Amino acid sequence: MKAVASMRRFFLSCLIRFIIVPWKQRKGDSVKINSVKIIAILSVLASILWGYGLVAMVQDQFFHPAASAPLKNVAKTKNDHALHLVALGDSLTRGTGDETGKGYVGYLVDDLRTKTKQPLQVTNLAVKGLRSKELVEQLKQPEIQRQLKQADLVCLTIGGNDLFQGGESLRNFSPQRIKQTEHAYLQNLETIFRTIRTANSQAIVFYISLYNPFQQLNNGQITSKIVRQWNYDSAEVAARYPNIIAVPTYDLFELHTNEYLYSDQFHPNKEGYKLIGERVSALITFAKGEGK
Amino acid sequence: MINLVYNEMLKIVRKKRLFIISAIIAVLVGLFTYAQYKHVQDVQKRLGTTDWRTQLQQQIIDTQNRLNSSGISEEWRKFLKIRLQQQQYYLDHNINPSAPGAPTFMRMFVENSIELFLPLMVMVVVADLVSSEASGGTMKLLLTRPVKRWKILLSKYIAMGVSISFIMLALVVLSYAISGAVFGYGGWNLPLLTGFTVQGEELNTANVHLIPQWKYLLIELGLASFVAIVVGTLTFMLSVIMRSTAAVMGIMLAALISGAILSNMVSSWESAKYLFMVNLRLTDYISGAAPPIAGMTLGFSIGVLAVWGLVALIVSFFVFITRDVY
Repeated sequence: MKAVASMRRFFLSCLIRFIIVPWKQRKGDSVKINSVKIIAILSVLASILWGYGLVAMVQDQFFHPAASAPLKNVAKTKNDHALHLVALGDSLTRGTGDETGKGYVGYLVDDLRTKTKQPLQVTNLAVKGLRSKELVEQLKQPEIQRQLKQADLVCLTIGGNDLFQGGESLRNFSPQRIKQTEHAYLQNLETIFRTIRTANSQAIVFYISLYNPFQQLNNGQITSKIVRQWNYDSAEVAARYPNIIAVPTYDLFELHTNEYLYSDQFHPNKEGYKLIGERVSALITFAKGEGK
Repeated sequence: MINLVYNEMLKIVRKKRLFIISAIIAVLVGLFTYAQYKHVQDVQKRLGTTDWRTQLQQQIIDTQNRLNSSGISEEWRKFLKIRLQQQQYYLDHNINPSAPGAPTFMRMFVENSIELFLPLMVMVVVADLVSSEASGGTMKLLLTRPVKRWKILLSKYIAMGVSISFIMLALVVLSYAISGAVFGYGGWNLPLLTGFTVQGEELNTANVHLIPQWKYLLIELGLASFVAIVVGTLTFMLSVIMRSTAAVMGIMLAALISGAILSNMVSSWESAKYLFMVNLRLTDYISGAAPPIAGMTLGFSIGVLAVWGLVALIVSFFVFITRDVY
């Protein structure tokens, strides 16, 4: 106990001698004046810097000769042990209608994570409302190309906006118009598949085909027929390329259409997306098993 | 003259405001550093990669999706479109606009504080520079000295400039030191693009060129100090006119905050572009963001600010010299 008391006394005396007394002295004018000088000198020096900044701004912004920025080569960096999944396409791939925002890609990834310990890298490049023509344009971008090169798996939904046009073309449709749309679409699809295959000859591509959201409406019979034909023709295009798999979803939504649709009666809801995700997930294990 | 300035500096330092400001900056920088750190980690976890190209591409896709949703205001759509084009340009030229590092953090901090935070800090120092002499009664003592009135006011104005410079210095040093501890101190030579001009909804990239980050930062700091001086001059004028420091603070605060709100909603009221508080975001012209009102350019904004500053300076000298003090 005595030792502790003496220690405490020692500390207190140190505190007073080295901290409190200098602190009080510091408050005296002589030291204060010094700090004012230091602040003033530092600030004046700094203001030279700010002034130079302004001059540089005028030079750079107002008197810069027009010149294009030099292009640099895009470096290739691939994280080799991760499984790259690239998702392309429209609102279905985006996950519109799923209140959790996951979409079938989210459920697919959840599923895959339980199956494999391999790290997964998911890049969802889908844009709501995308049509096949716009996807062709998007695929031309160098960064999209780079992503495709790294991909091991590619998921793709396209065509829904081409065919349904937000429900317009089916409400007052003519067989003639639909034929034209389909013809243009198939050509775009061909280009899309070719672009993907040229960028990456290895990756397995899952082309997720259409379901018919309007099955229970008045002309459900006719629309179903159109969708079936559409899917058949698309699958024919897919079959021309190796490792492009057309995944059907038509049957998933056939029986209980309204239970699997979101309130817009067009996009799937959470349950609908789960179904699609499960279907693709089942294929991936199979495909990987084959690969080994 | 130099002694007069020295005397004024002594008064400012005595009030300890400069240290309080430094402490505020230190705390805020600490907070933002942590927030930024969390954000970076979160993005990495979500995308499963540290590749900035993937992240930037994902941002572009997200923006495209937002553009496609219907319930989006015309203003916001325009802003997003311009940012989208810019991001695509960065991606096409293989330049990472937000490479981690203390200089990048500093740049973002300056860009975000130029409109409100920096002017507020300036205001804290300048607001009572003259008015406190009037309300405290020391004005008479000051004016009975055999020194011309304009000299007294000029010495106060120069002291204001010196303290503004000090605030900027504190901002730079503290943000560099604190954020560097987390993000690393490198990155001065990172190339950045500047020279974007906005024409309607399109981004004009004809004049775009690369400059190293240190130069970019220097330019932004120059602009920030210009803004700080203008806001300081306006506060100075109010401080000369009014005896109550609280009133000076209140008016300036209202003006600055209204500026932050106005620049989000004035696009249809075109003559608002002559108000000084809408023109404070000078750094946006360097980075190429859309101006709050169509047709505003860097030269225009600098001009507007300079006119406001000059008028304020003339008014404050005129009032101070001709006023009866009793």
